[in-house]
Amino acid sequence: MNGIEARKAASRFLNGIGKFKISLSEKCFHCGLCVEICPSGVFERQDGFNQVRVANPGQCPGPDCQKGTFFCSKKCPVEAIKIEPDPQWKTLGDFRWTPDLILATWEQAETGEIARDHLEYRIGASGGGFDNFDFVIKSSTPPSSEAIDSISTSISLNRRREGQAIKIPIPWYGAGMSFGSVSLPVMLARAMAAQAWGTFTSTGEGGYPDELIPYRNCVITQIATGLFGVNEETIKRAPVIEFKYAQGAKPGLGGHLLGDKNSAEVARMRETVCGTSLFSPFPFHSVYSVEDHKKHIDWVKVINPEALVSVKVSTPSDVDMVAVGSYYAGANIIHLDGGYGGTGAAPEIAKKNIAMPIEYAITKVHRFLLQEGVRDEIVLMASGGIRTAYDIAKSIALGADGAVIGTGELVALGCVRCTNCESGRGCPRGIATTDPELEKQISPAWAAQRIINLYASWQKQLKLLLCRLELNDITELRGRTDLLRPIDEK
Amino acid sequence: MYKRYQIETSPARLSLTTIGKFKITRDNKCLNCGRCTNLCIYDVHKRDAEDLRKMAEPASHLCKNCFSCIQNCPQQSLRMVKNEEYENLGNSYWTPEMIHTIWSEAEEGKIPVFGAGYRGPFKGPGFDEIWTDMSEIVRPTRDGIHGREYIATSVDLGRKLSWIADFEKFCFPNFYEIQIPMLLDTAPLGFNSKNLILAIIQAGREIETFSFLDVENYFDELEPFLGSIVLRATLEGIADLDRTPWREVNFIEIILPNKFRASQLERKLEELRSLNRKALISLALEDPFPSEEILKQFQEQRADVLNFYANIRGRSSEGNIFISDSIRKLHLDFVKKSIRDEITIIGKGGIAAAEHVPKLIICGADAVVLDLALLVAMGCRVCRDCRAKSCPAELEKLVPEFAKQRIVNLACAWRDQLLEVLSAMGIRDVRRLRGEAGRAMFYDEIEKESFEFIFKKSGLSQ
Repeated sequence: MNGIEARKAASRFLNGIGKFKISLSEKCFHCGLCVEICPSGVFERQDGFNQVRVANPGQCPGPDCQKGTFFCSKKCPVEAIKIEPDPQWKTLGDFRWTPDLILATWEQAETGEIARDHLEYRIGASGGGFDNFDFVIKSSTPPSSEAIDSISTSISLNRRREGQAIKIPIPWYGAGMSFGSVSLPVMLARAMAAQAWGTFTSTGEGGYPDELIPYRNCVITQIATGLFGVNEETIKRAPVIEFKYAQGAKPGLGGHLLGDKNSAEVARMRETVCGTSLFSPFPFHSVYSVEDHKKHIDWVKVINPEALVSVKVSTPSDVDMVAVGSYYAGANIIHLDGGYGGTGAAPEIAKKNIAMPIEYAITKVHRFLLQEGVRDEIVLMASGGIRTAYDIAKSIALGADGAVIGTGELVALGCVRCTNCESGRGCPRGIATTDPELEKQISPAWAAQRIINLYASWQKQLKLLLCRLELNDITELRGRTDLLRPIDEK
Repeated sequence: MYKRYQIETSPARLSLTTIGKFKITRDNKCLNCGRCTNLCIYDVHKRDAEDLRKMAEPASHLCKNCFSCIQNCPQQSLRMVKNEEYENLGNSYWTPEMIHTIWSEAEEGKIPVFGAGYRGPFKGPGFDEIWTDMSEIVRPTRDGIHGREYIATSVDLGRKLSWIADFEKFCFPNFYEIQIPMLLDTAPLGFNSKNLILAIIQAGREIETFSFLDVENYFDELEPFLGSIVLRATLEGIADLDRTPWREVNFIEIILPNKFRASQLERKLEELRSLNRKALISLALEDPFPSEEILKQFQEQRADVLNFYANIRGRSSEGNIFISDSIRKLHLDFVKKSIRDEITIIGKGGIAAAEHVPKLIICGADAVVLDLALLVAMGCRVCRDCRAKSCPAELEKLVPEFAKQRIVNLACAWRDQLLEVLSAMGIRDVRRLRGEAGRAMFYDEIEKESFEFIFKKSGLSQ
């Protein structure tokens, strides 16, 4: 899109983490050749110093670099440079977010460009679902820049005849993350990034901080079962209202904010008592049928007739019926949140075991809506374990219109997925925390740029992919399962 | 007065179970600047108490993998590697994560709650091929463990006859209610110290369930607990019936050999029943798919309980069949004959995490037997080298009262997680979960249903 500029947003940490461990032996006489030739800026000699140091080992692409003529360890006159796989790298990440994916997301957030090839940035290692598919590439010649420019990645968020038409230039928007689960600077950054891209972010269930009002046109507000911080004002403010019935990571269990994170500020926003654990109940205690659900939607439309309504549900075995019910109740967007999705706190047992992964749910709902003949009147958004541009494309090929992104944005801000967001002072990296000292680590402007950059890289990847699939528009990809193949097959 | 069932927990810390996942190392480039002490919010880094100019060794077991110290060290002198001791816990079935989880559940009695989404593989073998269901809107109010609505976890052990065939000969079948659908086994591995047995049986009494005890391990101090013991023997082992335990227990289990004469079983049962009229009779099987002949014996001999034994990896010794498959088949066999309620089905082996309990019940079990998990709760590392002097968990030194509390804590944490699963499904009674395979998603079925079009096209369809 025009006017969106990917600008360098360097890591806020002194030392990077990389795949390779680089060391200078005692033989080094600090000639500085490596500082000059390394294209990745691994080595550094600070002004006024004599010593060369390994400043950014995280940037080293390792053996990939040998193809170039600048490979440092061969050029070093005294063979003092040693490059070896870093055992520390293995302590990062997990099956779903591999160390490669985390590092690649950081790199994209830093540069706004597609990650370099030494990092597997397309796919995780979970061995199923998205990680088991690849695309059937039709054209292997690199497309021209005109061809790439002519491709549209825009989707519409309202496909009904009535109501306002809202289009977003990229097929995804930001997921609901409440004030309390994440810090205010993070919320602000997400809103700024959404505004820059012309897409949306969501307040989650925890109130609508006044600081977000300048970005109101890009902020979805959530009405969830605890009704924390929901009032007429916030509903009137939002162009899209999201009803959260359930969350993929804890389906059927409601929300959960441990007392540690319920600071005075959070409690004020949520109109609760500081320091108590907050549970959003499950389900909506006023909704026991599709008719009740319709009553809810009607109620919102009376307060804010302009707003589009999104219904966020998780993925039970009858998710297809729920989706059709939501359509008939008047929803514009049905948002499926799969079992492997992110959360600020959830019982471990719920994350893996309750409700199905999103990959199955998309297929199921898409096919059922087609059979019912209403597929083209509703927007199907998928979330819950969508980590990369390729995951977004695969969701769309399975039948979704677009995706909703949560964890990916946090990783762009430096999340390492250490899973300690829920208690104590919260996130040690200053993202999912309400601790006044820890949250200072994030400056909204820097963080917004990181998210903008990640989006830029993702859009580039989608456009390239569409070219290679010989499609012109992301909407043409929807439901094209014929373009998918199992990964272990060439 | 009506009393709501509740398990009382209290923290029970074991110093031998603090094995961290990571190891933080500090090399000699460190300038002792102390920046890491400010950055680490988990107290991994501290100054040396004896010489404040120096940094102390990092307390690695407190590390939570946040990388803050590593990424901010001005000297790049801190590094994180995986802790080998942690990686070497357990085996491919009893993974280090599972063991670690059981340890913390046994310590605190709380549900493990963490941030960030699921981190594991898409699916795994055995129980990891099953997802349980939830329901979105159209169910009555429930709030799980936090809630106002009570969810029952008690189950009945014994036969529920569909009708009375002959009033003349009719005698009431025995019947016992346990408060959680979990029974305990006192002989989880090679280890059978008196303290360990006592701890498990006391825990079983406290949480109102039964504990299995091999008859040869009976000792007199157990007499007050006979009502909560399942006395277990092989068919040949049913001897010395004059001894107290046989007369007093409420529950007897006979391990059936692969081949046996029906008449022999009948004779032994007659003897037992003439001596002890109140005991439930359980027959234990190791055969994953028992023949029609054997199943008929259960009916003819009026067995109250069928207990299916798998090994500690949940597999049958013959055929390598996973316990969920065997139980599913057994359950359906009895359903097809319309006599499912005339027997209680329980299963033992491979129950290593809280989610395994509801999953086995969904496959058709009425209750499950916990074995190795209890030993792990007491600190066991599943090294399979059970000798008194070399046990790294020092199980021979266990204090029964303390070990009991850890088991009670584990039971509470697992029950609460069972409640979470039930509440997500909108089920208010665990008895209604039994055999509800329609409220679960099985990998093979759902993968085929969802992705057949992709795999078929490519010729990979199985």
